[in-house]
Amino acid sequence: MANQGSNTETLAPPVVPRSLENQHLDGSQEQPYSYTPSTTGSQAVSWTAHSSTENGVYSNPPYQYDQHTQPPPRSFQDGQNTSSVAGNSSNLGTANVPQDYNAYTSYPSSSNPYGYGSAGYSGYYNSYQQQPNHTYSQPVGAYQNTGAPYQPLSSFQNTGSYAASASYSSTYYNAGDYQTPGDYQNSNYGNQTTLWNNGTYSSYPSNPYANYTVDSTSAYSSGTSGTGATSMEYQQHYKQWADYYRQTEVSCAPGTENLSVTSSSTCPIPPVTSGYTTPNSEPQPAYAPFWRPDSSSSTIPSMQPGAITGVVHDGYWKHGGQSSQIHHTNPIQPNYQNPLDLPCSYDRFQDQQKTLPSHGPNLQYPPAHQVTPPPLQSTPSLDMRRVSKMQIPTNPRIASNLTFGLPKTNRDSSTTSVSPKPAYISVSLPKPTEKVSSNDAASSIIKPGMFPKSLRGYVEKALARCKDDKQMAACQAVMKEMITKATADGTLYTQNWDMEPLFPMPDSDMVNKDSSQCSTHDSSLPKYKRSPSRRARSRWEPLPDEKPVDKPVLTSDDTMKSSGWVQNEDRKVVGEKEESKEDGSRNTKFSSLLQRTSSKTPQRTFKKQRLADALVASENGDASSDSDKEANLTAYYPSAMAFVDSPEERKRRENRSKRFELRQGHRAENNHFRQNAGAGNLYSRRASAMVLSKNIEDGSDRAVEDIDWDALRVKGTCQEIEKRYLRLTSAPDPATVRPEEVLEKALLMVQNSQKNYLYKCDQLKSIRQDLTVQHIRNQLTVKVYETHARLAIEVGDLPEYNQCQSQLITLYTEGIEGSHMEFAAYNLLCVILHSNNNRDLLLSMSRLSDEAKKDEAVKHALAVRAAVTSGNYVAFFRLYKAAPNLNTCLMDLYVEKMRYKAVNCMCRSYRPTVPVSYVSQVLGFSTTNRSSNEKDADALEECAEWLKSHGAHLIADNNGDMLLDTKASSSTLYIPEQEDAVAHGDANLAVNDFLARAPL
Amino acid sequence: MAYMSMGEAHRRITEFLNRFSDAVFSQDVASLKSLFALSSNPPFLLSVADALNIFQDANRLIKQSDKYSQFGEILVPLFRSLQNYKQGSLVEAYQAFEKTANAFIQEFRNWESAWALEALCVIVYEIRILAERADRELSSSGKSPEKLKGAGSFLMKVFGALAGKGSKRMGALYVTCQLFKIYFKLGTVHLCRSVIRSIETARIFDFEEFPKRDKVTYMYYTGRLEVFNENFPAADTKLSYALKHCNPKSEANIRMILKYLIPVKLSIGILPKDWLLERYNLLEYNNVVQALRRGDLRLLRSALQDHEDRFLRSGVYLVLEKLELQAYQRLVKKIYIIQKQKDPSKAHQVKLEVIVKALKWLEIDMDVDEVECIMAILIYKNLVKGYFAHKSKVVVLSKQDPFPKLNGKPVNS
Repeated sequence: MANQGSNTETLAPPVVPRSLENQHLDGSQEQPYSYTPSTTGSQAVSWTAHSSTENGVYSNPPYQYDQHTQPPPRSFQDGQNTSSVAGNSSNLGTANVPQDYNAYTSYPSSSNPYGYGSAGYSGYYNSYQQQPNHTYSQPVGAYQNTGAPYQPLSSFQNTGSYAASASYSSTYYNAGDYQTPGDYQNSNYGNQTTLWNNGTYSSYPSNPYANYTVDSTSAYSSGTSGTGATSMEYQQHYKQWADYYRQTEVSCAPGTENLSVTSSSTCPIPPVTSGYTTPNSEPQPAYAPFWRPDSSSSTIPSMQPGAITGVVHDGYWKHGGQSSQIHHTNPIQPNYQNPLDLPCSYDRFQDQQKTLPSHGPNLQYPPAHQVTPPPLQSTPSLDMRRVSKMQIPTNPRIASNLTFGLPKTNRDSSTTSVSPKPAYISVSLPKPTEKVSSNDAASSIIKPGMFPKSLRGYVEKALARCKDDKQMAACQAVMKEMITKATADGTLYTQNWDMEPLFPMPDSDMVNKDSSQCSTHDSSLPKYKRSPSRRARSRWEPLPDEKPVDKPVLTSDDTMKSSGWVQNEDRKVVGEKEESKEDGSRNTKFSSLLQRTSSKTPQRTFKKQRLADALVASENGDASSDSDKEANLTAYYPSAMAFVDSPEERKRRENRSKRFELRQGHRAENNHFRQNAGAGNLYSRRASAMVLSKNIEDGSDRAVEDIDWDALRVKGTCQEIEKRYLRLTSAPDPATVRPEEVLEKALLMVQNSQKNYLYKCDQLKSIRQDLTVQHIRNQLTVKVYETHARLAIEVGDLPEYNQCQSQLITLYTEGIEGSHMEFAAYNLLCVILHSNNNRDLLLSMSRLSDEAKKDEAVKHALAVRAAVTSGNYVAFFRLYKAAPNLNTCLMDLYVEKMRYKAVNCMCRSYRPTVPVSYVSQVLGFSTTNRSSNEKDADALEECAEWLKSHGAHLIADNNGDMLLDTKASSSTLYIPEQEDAVAHGDANLAVNDFLARAPL
Repeated sequence: MAYMSMGEAHRRITEFLNRFSDAVFSQDVASLKSLFALSSNPPFLLSVADALNIFQDANRLIKQSDKYSQFGEILVPLFRSLQNYKQGSLVEAYQAFEKTANAFIQEFRNWESAWALEALCVIVYEIRILAERADRELSSSGKSPEKLKGAGSFLMKVFGALAGKGSKRMGALYVTCQLFKIYFKLGTVHLCRSVIRSIETARIFDFEEFPKRDKVTYMYYTGRLEVFNENFPAADTKLSYALKHCNPKSEANIRMILKYLIPVKLSIGILPKDWLLERYNLLEYNNVVQALRRGDLRLLRSALQDHEDRFLRSGVYLVLEKLELQAYQRLVKKIYIIQKQKDPSKAHQVKLEVIVKALKWLEIDMDVDEVECIMAILIYKNLVKGYFAHKSKVVVLSKQDPFPKLNGKPVNS
């Protein structure tokens, strides 16, 4: 903490050095320091993001983040988080937000002005913001809040953040420790949390690559099982995605991976968090002040916010520790080997990358970033989160990578986002330059940076379409041509690139040419990919077993990738650095490295690239439609904007449409929004719509209620088949929303799944959610609801069934075909047997069409109704045995009541006795009609038991047959308490079930 | 309308304003309420509406004199409502009228006495009628009808202005009845509960002091609610009260009451005379009554089948369906009587197979188990006194009063 504190205090100066050092270290081996810090920071960030993603709120989290800036973001990630953030931070969080905004605003406008400070700051801010958001904010949260309150609140996402915070603290501490990287690494393995930091540090110092690997490993180790799994996944992802990343934004991919890694690391960290918190506590204060200054002056203010956020994160982390672990484990399983996941991971990666870039700076300046970063961080964090959301499944795996990558990416991003700023640039410059050059043509194209945002967005879109590196390369080539032409024509700046139709996808073969360039990046990308995939697996796949296997693979991959990652990150960083003017001094290196970086535009380009990467990833994963891409692009824009909120962007914006002006006017909000959007890179149109609406609102009212939610209709890009249900607390993130094709697969998966109802229910709810947010109302929707309703009936989950039923009724009335009659029958049975409302019953009956009354199931239901109203138990149990579809299941719920009534009736009207065999037969205990076989004996036994348990008197006659003594029983009958009754009334909600379901 | 000169229009509008202010200042309810009753299309109001269409600046007239302008809140929207009503745009008319009503309630609250109660009742009625028509207009143009719902909540406000104390409370029951009509029409019957509670608990006023028409309406609707709840004795009491106090000349109202009272009476074992059904055109109950008399289960089922939609809509289907047990009782009783004629000593033992056979003749296919179950239920519900001997499959009837009559008591459930 002392380190942090010093950092924070010194932020400008110390931070710069650190950041510089870190960056340098990253670039070279010296960088380890910076890396470690950055990594930690980034990890933290990534964690938050991941955690959020894991939470399922992922998409939302970013949005929330954006909106609320950092604190909100956290909260967004977890619904709880938000609240916690509010609580925690009320002070911090709120302060942070404004500060963040300020910082942002200042950045955009003053980022350059800050020049040195700005450069450093901006870089810091950027990085910080990103990291800070995650790490710092977490640390801060821990610090200020001491994490305890926060932790509870935001346990989920915070877990990630906590990890980050932890990492921060550790990183800070590590700073000291840095020198003893080896120990750390070792320790990382041994100690999850500390190990992490240490491990990362150690790795960083030694080699960026090593760091990566170490980080991933450390993360894994820290995560223990979860991490291990993640690491495995990471490797895979990395491999798969390596290409993508390379092509697009390798650094980003790494960053994403890093993020994921961090998340994974964070998971393990939770325990550590306490330690972290303490350290954090110290640093936080310092940070807070710094940040606050930042807000006003830029860096300091932002620092505080970051700190605040950090606090929240800590809280999150602590809590999250568990959750995160769980998430990780989950992700790991699902992530494994899922092709779909890969794309997702790509997206995520891209997102992460994007976020990372923004965070990048934060990472480097974790403390500073946290403070100042708030704005930036928020955006980056948002992005990260979005990414994480995207990657969620893969997050665990990625988390490790991401953490590492994030630091790097963060740096990059920070440089880019902050723009800047030198510190980043300097740090990452060496690598970045290389990376850049080798990296995406698009990125390079963009990096030049001088290009308008819209063009960036266009490029991103285009890249987002690419399904693999080859395509990316081809796209890049095509775009280069286009841009060159546009430049020659002088239309580069005048053309509305947003409106420009995407060029047809070039042949992947074409791309291959470029691929060579990308290959280096690809190496890093694969890692990223792996990490995403891992994440995906971890989340969705309940295959803990895979972890071990994955781990080995991952480790190897990670190592391999780590190098790639570092490079990529460095490249990005460089670009960012270049972009960040403030970083100037540091930037010098970067600037030299980054030709693009010279101007802010480079940063943008980087961002764009990252975004594009994210898009690409998403597209790759989803093979999403063009519209999705566009949406993504638009989302990216906002996000990019958010990132770029730096002065450069501002200027550009000013020159641009009124929209942008509006945004500027309400910058803080806009930034938030943009950040959100950015976070949601994949948010697509929705995000943009959000941004727009927000902008508009900002201009006028800001009333959230006035948002045209229809305009926010999401087009999902998530390729995960499995997705846990998490109630949305903000606008959905397209990155975490699955498109219809994927949902179909998901439905099939659920239908064929052997898992228990809780799992299926969870999955179906998430499918329903995705359908709803995308406004999909067709036969698939009906199928999903029907499937869910049937499952609910089978297990007697009436509340869930009722939800489905009411939806089905409206769907049917809209003319969508389905098993209309079947559900009309269920509805009748439900009303008859469970609502006991005559008016409802009359209503349902009078609504039945003649056609419906001829339907077998409906006729059966009506007959059941008649039997129930007349108390005709014989008819009831006959119908019970002859029930079509799942009518039996609904009747099941009424059997006990009916039997009790029947026995009451018998005891009153029969004299002197009734044979138990008759009772058994009439009341549906025996399956066959008066046939005496073994089954019958069992049924008799069961019936006798049942009668006894209800207070009936049984006697045996001369033949030894059991008889019900009606007269004696008539006054002693009672309904026994259910043995398996649960206090809260739903056995499905038993604690054990909850625990058992967590790993799902 | 014939052409109306500007002067004529001005004159009519002024006359309307004069009538209004005169009525208020002289507390002349009869005159006042006639100025609000636009749904009955009084010629004077229609001519004022025409005048308003010609003389566009009526609001200026209102503002010119203090005499009118103090009621501007009431009069301005009232003019607008009149105008729209005449032009057939009922949604607009309703909205404007609700504003008028709102302003009128404010005034009404300020008046010490309840002299304007009748005018308020007219307004309440107009509100409901206009809302219904506006909803018809809305749904015909494909929009969601919501005005009646709005009228419901507005009337709750009016109810609040009346429910308190003193002579104004006299109007509370009228508003309640209008609310019932709205709620029953909307199918939101559960909303009646709060109003009923307020009427029945806060007994500052004796129920009997309410106007008779309101009492009858109130009893009719609350009786219907009891039918839904299958609380037959209470339903019988309320509906019988309504029938007893209903104006004998309003046969439509009597028929409405009988529509629910007959099933209630049937289910407590009281059968109507045939002439009653004919007189009030309730022939759908003819076969039901016949079936109960004869113990003809088949006839009962077919009668229910034939009028299923009607019974379902009016909400008596479930009540009538429960009459089946009485039909079974009657059937068994018939068997018992026949057995008694054959062999009095063994008459109290009715063999199950005999009942099954009788049901077969009625073309009702039930096997022994099911019939045994029915017999058990009959005994359980005290429609038959005796017991069932499972071993010998015989219903052993009590020697005293084996088929107790319901005599106004509902079947045990």
